[in-house]
Amino acid sequence: MQTMASETSMPAPAQRKRHRNEKDVISGRSHTANLWKIFGGILFAILFFGFMLLPCMDTLTSIFTVRDAAGNLDPLAVIRFFFAGNMPTFLWNSLKLAIVLVITVNVVGISIVLLTEYFDIKGAKILRLGYMTTLIYSGVALVTGYQFLYDQNGLMTKWLAELFPGMNKSWFTGFSAVIFTMTFACTSNHALFLRNAIRGIDYNTVEAARNMGAKPFRVLFKVVMPTLLPTLFSLTVMTFITGLCAMSAPTLLGYNSINPEIVRLAGSSTADEAFPQARAALLSVILALFTVILLTVLNHYERKGHYLSVSKTKAKLVKQKIQNPVANILAHIYAYALFIIYMTPVVMILVFAFQNWGNVRTKTIDFSNWTLSNFFGNQDYVYQNWKGRDVTRKGAISGVFGNESTVGGIRLSFVMSAIAAALACVIVVAVVNYIFKNKHRKRSRVAEACMLFPWLLPTILICYSYRIFFNSDIFAGVRLGLAGFGEVQGTTPSVNLYMDNVRFLIIMAYTVVKLPFALRMIKAAFYAIDEELEDAAKNLGASPLVTFLRVKLPIVLPSVLAVFALNFNALFTEYDMGATFAKPEGRTYAMVIQSMCAEEGRDNMNMNASGRRCAATVFIMIVSGLILYLVYGVGSRDLAERIARRDRRIAKVKAEKFPARATLGLALGLAGIASFVILSMQLVGMAAAGSLTVDPVALLFLLGCLGLGLSIAGTVFSGRGRRNPKGRAIGIIGMILSILGIVLSAAAILVTLMILMGNPGSVTETFLSVMGFLKA
Amino acid sequence: MIQLKDIVVKFGDFEALHNINVHVKEGEFFTFLGPSGCGKTTTLRTITGFIEPVSGSVSMQGRDITNVPIEKRNIGIVFQSYALFPTMTVRNNIAFGLKIQHCSRAEIKERVDRIARKVDLSDEQLDKAVSQLSGGQQQRVAIARALVTEPAVICMDEPLSNLDAKLRVNLRNELKKMQREFGITTIYVTHDQEEALTLSDRIAVFNNGYIEQIGTPNEVYNHSATEFVANFIGDINPIGRELAQIMELPEDRNHYIRLERIGVSSKSNEKKEDKEKKQKGVFKVPGVIEMQEYYGLYIKYYIQAAGQSLKVIEKNDGISIYEPGEKVTLRLNPADVMSY
Repeated sequence: MQTMASETSMPAPAQRKRHRNEKDVISGRSHTANLWKIFGGILFAILFFGFMLLPCMDTLTSIFTVRDAAGNLDPLAVIRFFFAGNMPTFLWNSLKLAIVLVITVNVVGISIVLLTEYFDIKGAKILRLGYMTTLIYSGVALVTGYQFLYDQNGLMTKWLAELFPGMNKSWFTGFSAVIFTMTFACTSNHALFLRNAIRGIDYNTVEAARNMGAKPFRVLFKVVMPTLLPTLFSLTVMTFITGLCAMSAPTLLGYNSINPEIVRLAGSSTADEAFPQARAALLSVILALFTVILLTVLNHYERKGHYLSVSKTKAKLVKQKIQNPVANILAHIYAYALFIIYMTPVVMILVFAFQNWGNVRTKTIDFSNWTLSNFFGNQDYVYQNWKGRDVTRKGAISGVFGNESTVGGIRLSFVMSAIAAALACVIVVAVVNYIFKNKHRKRSRVAEACMLFPWLLPTILICYSYRIFFNSDIFAGVRLGLAGFGEVQGTTPSVNLYMDNVRFLIIMAYTVVKLPFALRMIKAAFYAIDEELEDAAKNLGASPLVTFLRVKLPIVLPSVLAVFALNFNALFTEYDMGATFAKPEGRTYAMVIQSMCAEEGRDNMNMNASGRRCAATVFIMIVSGLILYLVYGVGSRDLAERIARRDRRIAKVKAEKFPARATLGLALGLAGIASFVILSMQLVGMAAAGSLTVDPVALLFLLGCLGLGLSIAGTVFSGRGRRNPKGRAIGIIGMILSILGIVLSAAAILVTLMILMGNPGSVTETFLSVMGFLKA
Repeated sequence: MIQLKDIVVKFGDFEALHNINVHVKEGEFFTFLGPSGCGKTTTLRTITGFIEPVSGSVSMQGRDITNVPIEKRNIGIVFQSYALFPTMTVRNNIAFGLKIQHCSRAEIKERVDRIARKVDLSDEQLDKAVSQLSGGQQQRVAIARALVTEPAVICMDEPLSNLDAKLRVNLRNELKKMQREFGITTIYVTHDQEEALTLSDRIAVFNNGYIEQIGTPNEVYNHSATEFVANFIGDINPIGRELAQIMELPEDRNHYIRLERIGVSSKSNEKKEDKEKKQKGVFKVPGVIEMQEYYGLYIKYYIQAAGQSLKVIEKNDGISIYEPGEKVTLRLNPADVMSY
């Protein structure tokens, strides 16, 4: 699913207008510039050799350095084992998955796009939103969501079994389950790009074909589809790679494809089976070979060029009505059936996130009983042991934010993905800047190829290579050096890069894996910088640094932020890579949630693990939805659009006869303060009564959030309304009140959070425990 | 003001400029004219410092600036694409150079407002994004941005080529007016000879990295120094061997005559010049109207005479109207002939 995202950069960037092989005039800066170049070169070399080439080469060579029982080198042992044992099954399974996935994803993806963009289907906008839901929850969250509904105890399976009594209840395992899940998971991305392609069609060509007597479906197949072919081809290749490299779905749904096997072998020991690591390496290399071949084909094909629209006055596509009434009804039924398939998991996850553990366990919805315990709970579970005595399991029913492991996982994933996403952006911006400065030299092409290198390797291979490489003897020298350094420093000497720095290695793996995607996106953005802009800035007296910071960076910044957000989004919920590292220090958020579910109810611990997972997914959906909105909604507006929007707004405010916005702002500010007052009165009352239990406090937390939201909206509206001549005073008062509301609500949220995260004992105690937790 | 001495510029093995020598005087409107790829923009970029010459020197006000970095040359530029910063408002675009110079906020505001008024940009336009302005307005922003730092010289690289024909003529006039007002030394690059002729005090005509001629518009047009200049500027008739013999021109050279220098008359339309019996050295040649191109302001006739086709311009004054096939008499004065 990650590889699909790489396609965002598909549109070929326009050729630059003018070739310039003029040398920049070098002035007195050359000395420091050279130092910077050397420094950057060294960093780049460390990155490329240390974290890309050498680890992967190490993995590759490990296949041929296997020793037999007598300790003799046996280079071909693994290969022989491959052909003798069951290893080809995994390869075949992966290929089967990839081939079937290509078919299903293309069928569903093309139909989705045609239904929402090309044909006139009622409610297309809502349908489109539904089809896009898998963009806000992916990977493990999505697979487990589907599993929750469709496995043998699943809600949907139960309902379906009632409808069709003869059906096989455990249909949702293995190949069919993986195909079902991945089809819907991959289609959103597929549809996203296909949609852009279909929107690029010049409607005049459709009209021309109709004018010459072609029937609608003939137009579709002869005029519309051929223009979509290049995009479809790219998407097909990417889907194939996604299927081949699938990790979370096969792992969770029990399908023996390559990647889960690599992870299993990597973690296995020589005591149990013959040279598991070397076999894992061989499988990784096979996967890498396939990826290389497919990407080469794709690259070659892309270089041949696309069918670009030749028309300068493009007409917007007008939706086609399906004339045949039967076909029309069938199309509508199909569209809404798909919509239901897409929406059911989302709705169910949302519902079950607010159901108590008993209901989640039995998969029944109790409309009269809602709870926040899956988000903030921290309750004990009391049960009778075999002796009939009551035993208390502390915190067995706890929410995502009320559970130390999950909060720890969130924090770890948050920090690691934020650092990695930022690092990838910084590295790529620096490299792309270099590439553009040395456009006509070979070294820029070399630098670009280095950055794209990780694309050739499956994610799992990179992580696996890190795991082996940094744990290997090659680093004996480095380790010794570090140990010596550590002794000098008087701290514990660092002796093993893998054992002691796994978080650092995960961050590096995250970064490296995201480099190719970041490069393609950010490079496309750099094409928007006109060379003359740089000249103009220089001519006006700006130094190269100032030119970069004030002229070039602002132009590419929206793209850079988008890349950051998308990478962060993907890494935050990432499971595969963390699982490959398989170290307790690197237990990411997805891994924590996953392992808890695997142990649901065992020893009467983790009683609400499934409900908690639903809550976690809701949390992810909110975060991803927000990020996608910011990137594609707000972030894509340029200066002209922002100014135009502001001007329109000001004009509207000034034209108000009654200062409506200012009044609204004032009202919102007051509402924000009111919610704070209610909240604090409740809290004080509960504290006085000694009944600070989790659920009501969680509600208060939400109230605090509401108050904060209202107050923020209040500042916005009163700030705008202030421009109306009559609304000036009201607006200013509204702003003051709203700002007060923000401060108070923020404080209230903090207090409730403290209570929620710690013990519902005294507030001071809670505060101390929270501080202790944050420090730990 | 600006003196280029023996400038040679090479891109790899390719010699783009061969021994360029130009002297631009204070307050002059100086134009580099030539077809694309002739080296005019390269020369401009050498003056502004984007290109380092292999040999030769650039000096400004008597000071050698060949090795002075771009940002210290005090030369303003208006780019072909305008190169306005898309992420800044119009005001911030104009203020950019002043901010780099660390001027005070009050001073920046005052100077930006002053220059904006001079180039006719309203306060409202100053707070817009660059892309919200029309082509002509964007060009004024580019000029304001180049002028606000009060450079000694301003360089313009085909600043009108992105505009449509009508706007181009309007802005051309405005540009000339502004230049006169500011009195600033201007170096202007264009491939449009009409633009060059109307705007410039002097013109340097470039070809293949050489300067073919430097002179006033009149010198360049009427006394083209080389065959290339004669052909490149305006329209011209090559004189064939037969006509050259009639006009008693030397045979070992190529001869040209401008379209408007050939007189035409027919029987129905005898002109004053025809009646004057003795016009010194004027040759009369019979011809037949082949074809006409109607331009409104004037009419271009293609006339078959002395075994060749000659183009002639006649003012559309209602008198000099001829029909295809009509027999006419051409008057040619050897004094109008340019020979190479």
